[in-house]
Amino acid sequence: MENTLNDALSLATDPPVVQQRPMLAMSGIAKWFGANQVLKGVSLTVAKGEAVVVIGPSGSGKTTLLRCINLLEDYEDGIVAVDGEPIGYFVDARGKRQRMGERDLAAAREHVGIVFQSYNLFPHMTVLQNIVAAPIRVRGIPRAKAEARARDLLAMVGLTDKEQAYPVRLSGGQQQRVAIARALAMDPKIMLFDEVTSALDPELVGEVLAAMQQLARDGMTMIVVTHEMSFARDVADRVVFMDGGLIVEEGKPEQMFTAPRTDRVRQFLKRYNDRYRL
Amino acid sequence: MPFDLNFLIRLIPALLEGAEVTVELAVLTMLICVVWGLVVALAQATPGPLSWIAGGYIQVVRNTPLLVQMYLVYFGLSMIGMGLSGFASGLLALCIQNGGYMAEIYRGGLQSISLRQYEAGRALGMRRWTLYTSVIMPQVVARVIPPLTNQAISITKDTAQVAAIAVMDIMKVAQVWVESSANTYDVFLGAGLIYLCLTTVISLGGRIAERRLAFAS
Repeated sequence: MENTLNDALSLATDPPVVQQRPMLAMSGIAKWFGANQVLKGVSLTVAKGEAVVVIGPSGSGKTTLLRCINLLEDYEDGIVAVDGEPIGYFVDARGKRQRMGERDLAAAREHVGIVFQSYNLFPHMTVLQNIVAAPIRVRGIPRAKAEARARDLLAMVGLTDKEQAYPVRLSGGQQQRVAIARALAMDPKIMLFDEVTSALDPELVGEVLAAMQQLARDGMTMIVVTHEMSFARDVADRVVFMDGGLIVEEGKPEQMFTAPRTDRVRQFLKRYNDRYRL
Repeated sequence: MPFDLNFLIRLIPALLEGAEVTVELAVLTMLICVVWGLVVALAQATPGPLSWIAGGYIQVVRNTPLLVQMYLVYFGLSMIGMGLSGFASGLLALCIQNGGYMAEIYRGGLQSISLRQYEAGRALGMRRWTLYTSVIMPQVVARVIPPLTNQAISITKDTAQVAAIAVMDIMKVAQVWVESSANTYDVFLGAGLIYLCLTTVISLGGRIAERRLAFAS
């Protein structure tokens, strides 16, 4: 298993951490929807193998921030790099910020897996076809090899018997696990999860979270936007709290959930606990 | 007078000869317009001057009668020394008009695909060509089969208008036989039945295609 930056920092007996290139570096991301600024210069760095969970009230900008990483959402200022390589915008030789061309953007996006709230599987393809489509058509992997890998991934998410099914025949939880396998099939360097359990029936949430937890345990670098506080507490290496288009507080989950430093987080967690206390 | 067996025995082969021309026109128009309509629809969906040109084209060809377009092609082109045969003029006019209709059908199909499908493809690193050929168009095609079938039926019936520019299709053969025999009823009944057979085949073909391409059932 990968040693995460946080693991290393938390063990005083470890040798000094070797400063390594972050897997994700976002700096000064600013975005407006018309006159409304939804991201106010957000910077976020994620180390290789780190699982970062982003929480915060609706409209705080967390989903928008996630979608800016692979430019599904355009933004007016700031720069993103994945594993040191720019994605979306780059700074040219004269120091001017430029939007990537279609070819470069597509190539950069291959390294970023994203799972959506609404699954977004391709309805005209079987489960297996959904998973192998991009590896074959985008990366040029031979079909047999892509299918073998797809079957491994389906086994990992517990859907071995569904490879010939069409998405419409699957439950929401099953579709979401296929979506996870589809993203993983591109061997991304980082995985983004955008409120992936919000559209699911409560009894299907667990199976999806379990697959994500397994991924985190396997050392996948991931950013998870979620309202599932228990997932944040149990799986996150670091929790980021956003509000009003800014990161208000970040820290280790045990600190954030037991002793938040800001009133805003305390208030948010109290409201959450009041609502979900049994 | 009606149902004169000897008359029918002579009439039917003549109408079938006309049917050959009708089928050729209809099939060629469909094949060309399936592609041409898509080109127009994609041009219209591309922001910029191409979109206005495509939009203007659709407006003009949909809002003028086919017969007017046919006369313009047949007589107009010959006036500027580029005269086409009746068959070629009829085919061209049919394609010009139905290309507009087909473009509208494709536009509806394209608009019915959720933007999330585009996002999902792009997020996987697909470029435009891959996105359209493997994600978007297969879904569009499945959705436009019913309206395309309708259009194919409409095209088949519209081919009858080429009779006006002296193309020997079913309709023109029927008109000639009516003039020489004065047996209006039998001749047009026979012509109508042949059109009905042709359009029935198209309907059945459309049903089969629909069933083959259904993935969400």
